[in-house]
Amino acid sequence: MSYKLTDTILYVENLSVAYGDKVVIKDITFEEKNVVREGKITGQTIAFVGRSGRGKSTLFRALTGLVKPSSGRILISDVTSSMNNSAKEVKEGDVGFVDQKYTLFRNKTIHQAFMFALRKKNMKDDAKEELINHYLTTWGLEPCKNQYPCELSGGQRQRTAIIEQILSSDYYMILDEPFSGLDVGNIENVKEAFQLISSEHDLNTIIFSTHDIELAVELADSIYVIGYPMVDGKKANYGTIVKHIDMKKNGLSWNPFSADHLDVVNEIKTAMLQS
Amino acid sequence: MKKLFKPFEKLPSNQVTLIYVGWTALLLLFWIITASIGDKHLFPTPAQVLKGLEGLYNEGLVVHIASSLWLCIRAIFISIIISLVVSYISPIPLLQFFAKTLSKLRYLPLTGITFYLAILIESGRTMQIWVLVVFMSTYLTTSLLGMINSIPQEEFDHARTLQCNRWEVLWEVLIKGRMDYVIEIIRQNLAIVWMMLVTVESIMVASGGLGFLIKNSDKFMNHGRIVALQIIILALGLGIDFVLEKSRKIFFRYSKI
Repeated sequence: MSYKLTDTILYVENLSVAYGDKVVIKDITFEEKNVVREGKITGQTIAFVGRSGRGKSTLFRALTGLVKPSSGRILISDVTSSMNNSAKEVKEGDVGFVDQKYTLFRNKTIHQAFMFALRKKNMKDDAKEELINHYLTTWGLEPCKNQYPCELSGGQRQRTAIIEQILSSDYYMILDEPFSGLDVGNIENVKEAFQLISSEHDLNTIIFSTHDIELAVELADSIYVIGYPMVDGKKANYGTIVKHIDMKKNGLSWNPFSADHLDVVNEIKTAMLQS
Repeated sequence: MKKLFKPFEKLPSNQVTLIYVGWTALLLLFWIITASIGDKHLFPTPAQVLKGLEGLYNEGLVVHIASSLWLCIRAIFISIIISLVVSYISPIPLLQFFAKTLSKLRYLPLTGITFYLAILIESGRTMQIWVLVVFMSTYLTTSLLGMINSIPQEEFDHARTLQCNRWEVLWEVLIKGRMDYVIEIIRQNLAIVWMMLVTVESIMVASGGLGFLIKNSDKFMNHGRIVALQIIILALGLGIDFVLEKSRKIFFRYSKI
């Protein structure tokens, strides 16, 4: 499938995070560019996989600006700048973050939560209402717009948490294990949500982690394996990127799951077990 | 029938009600029988209690109830203000000291506090209020700190990812987001004020109140009146508890504590 890569949308350089003396992730460097496909709006879908405790959640907290890196830097596109390919250091609120519990404000209805997410946007109230109504309708939340999180089903909660972050942040969205503990129906809901986000804007970038390698291979166009690296013949006890698979380059992106995808799954599993 | 004796067995609500009614009836029967047999008995008969109640009513029971309730309302109001302010500023590192210290003061004995309050305060009624305030504030603050500590980190992170600065996080997650918990905490700690009512109202008998009535009845060994008053105090306490619980559910639809 033909595509071209344009501006850099995410640039992470020598990122390390430590809590006190404990180094959790170290020397993480990667770059993601905007993918453009002719005649089709396609955002970026990036997966991070790895065994438990390798630092995926810490990496996500750093990417969202929730935790300050001990060293290194994270740059994202500066969409407010008129200059081409301009970048800015990430800060709290630039990147949307949905945790695996799909946390919401317990005292806000869906509509109130969306209004709150839009409070800093330079838009008139009518335009905000219109935008909210668009999302409520497109994502099937119109009937429950006045309900509180405790009155929502699991699927409705997921969609609310995702839209809230879309409305608040610019184009970046991180989801920490969005498929964890979900039934088949809800997994399909989240997959549909991914497609909806991706089809909304070229710059929309979904970054997610999962323990389901098949799902990562099916959905992502770029996959990073986080694990403990081998240093001087010994396994280090901090996480870093041990493998990167570019699904666009190997021609598997945006294609139905096939035997070739399964080969990638096995390749990733091997890398995970070794790290 | 076997189910009734099986641990952790879930029963239909009508069966549960029947069990409660049955135990209450047995308790009442036990009271009537033990109070009627022999010359000496621990509890007064139901007739004596009813007579005590009649006497209390004729001596202005309603006024005394109003006096006690007014005392409690004022004490609770001041305690809530103090505890909420101290607890809400506790996430600020420089000011955390106040909430932690106030919480620890719950181990102080009553006598020591009343001694210093007596030096500082001239009016007996004010003294009653402040004794209750000091005690309730310590317990309320302890519970509020517990509530703050139990807020999951995800809720703070969620607010931060929605571009809330730290003050907005405090306002949205802690203050607005946990208002229903405050009502619940007040409900749980109200029992402390209610329990201390007798002690506190006996500090100054001229103000009246249920505590004064019970102390007065105790002096004359009027058991019928004492039990009648205990029942009134219990019923009023349970009534306030019920109103607070209902209010929380009505005003905070999202509250599922």
